[in-house]
Amino acid sequence: MSAARRGVINLLLACLVAGSVYDIATDQEHWPFSQYPMFSGIWRATTFKWHRLVGVLTNGREWTIEDTRYIFPFDNSRLHLAIVRIALRPDAERKLADAVANCLERYERRRRAGQHDGPPLRALRLYEFEWDLQPDAGNVDKPDVRKLVAEVRVRQIAGVEAANRVGQ
Amino acid sequence: MKTRDKYVETWNRFWFEPASALRLASARAMFCGAAFLFYLPYDFTEWPSAAPTFWMPMRTFELLHVPLIPAEWLFVLQIVWKVSLGLCAIGLWTRASAIVAAAGGTYLLGLPHNFGATQHYDTLVVFALVILAFSRAADVRSVDTALRGRRAIADDGEYTWPIRAMWVLTALVFFGAGTSKLRHSGLEWAFSDNFRLLLMRAYYHVSDGDPLTRIGLEIAKRSWLSQAIALTSLGIETFYIVALFSRRARPYIAAIGILFFVGIRAFMGPTFEPYLICGLFLVPWHRVEYRARAWAHRVATATNASVIHPDDCRHYSSAPDRIPRSAPTP
Repeated sequence: MSAARRGVINLLLACLVAGSVYDIATDQEHWPFSQYPMFSGIWRATTFKWHRLVGVLTNGREWTIEDTRYIFPFDNSRLHLAIVRIALRPDAERKLADAVANCLERYERRRRAGQHDGPPLRALRLYEFEWDLQPDAGNVDKPDVRKLVAEVRVRQIAGVEAANRVGQ
Repeated sequence: MKTRDKYVETWNRFWFEPASALRLASARAMFCGAAFLFYLPYDFTEWPSAAPTFWMPMRTFELLHVPLIPAEWLFVLQIVWKVSLGLCAIGLWTRASAIVAAAGGTYLLGLPHNFGATQHYDTLVVFALVILAFSRAADVRSVDTALRGRRAIADDGEYTWPIRAMWVLTALVFFGAGTSKLRHSGLEWAFSDNFRLLLMRAYYHVSDGDPLTRIGLEIAKRSWLSQAIALTSLGIETFYIVALFSRRARPYIAAIGILFFVGIRAFMGPTFEPYLICGLFLVPWHRVEYRARAWAHRVATATNASVIHPDDCRHYSSAPDRIPRSAPTP
């Protein structure tokens, strides 16, 4: 190994190690470096809240969307955390409606393309569910509290799509 | 010897101790092959369809002004990236393919973390790709060397530092996770109902993946068991770093680390499969292969020959640190 190459490799190693150690020591995150804070807090509450998308089927019944396939590329964790951050913004109500409309548009587009086997929806609702934790998670489908945050109907997103086409 | 020289010597011995090219080449093939298969079905092109309100760039993307590129470009980029992973696995145009895999992987794997939350399941994959881009991981057992013709490869420090770098970074991942818990929660993280509640919560579809079994709920029913597992987890994370200093403990600690990720996936849900793929980097595949060959040789000779001289099998009785020159070479 030449001296120059060894110098380059040493520099790379120093960057990788120093970046990781720095983030751990200072409790910061500069992806891909991280202090890996997942699950580091203490959970004391026996209740918890989580945002969940609920589809309204053509017969009017509600269908809670739990499988990640239907909210791809999001997942249950990322979508909830994104919603929480959007809800903190000044014009949260409108932005939450935008977010739900976006999820509904993607759901229907992917369904029509055969990318998932979900049922057709008439509307999509965003709820904040609250559960009392049960040892067997038996109430996962029956949250103790359901608070409607936003609702978007298929006709609304169809209207937006049509307006966009006219605009083009 | 001056103190500074001692440090330099220790640093050089750790990173650049001569080692077999076979180990690194096998690690490259296994890691890239597994990463190729794992990411092959994943479609990155859906991210630009997320509404602008979801775009929340993380610090790295923000500082470097990295944009969200259109779906058409992402389509091309993901094909190029996946092909480069495949080429890197077989060792064809390895230098170029490894650089493309590192650059493309950093962007593509980083992209989802700009939508809502920064998660941590694939940071080690990015590091592994960057390390491979700088390494000489295809000096043996690659299409490149087959096309160039075989030549003798001496042991060299070039084949040590990438493996050691993966060890160090893996240890820092564990160490970071352990110290984060101690910093934010102290030992109460283990000696409380915290872990029991976390286990129960995991079954309410709150993660990027659901737990693969219902064992987590069974554990959560027993407070003492939850606390014991929490304490063990904390111990594994904080003391995994011992693997860097004890060659003897290293294989055991690595195995525990792999079981740890399997346990998280099975009992809690988060998809830590990329860490298992990175674990392939740490396995000394050349020794595994040597032992497999020795076993096959023993079985074959026991089956085919009625009389075998003991010397025929003696050198296959255990795997050496380095494979002897007389052994089958790649």
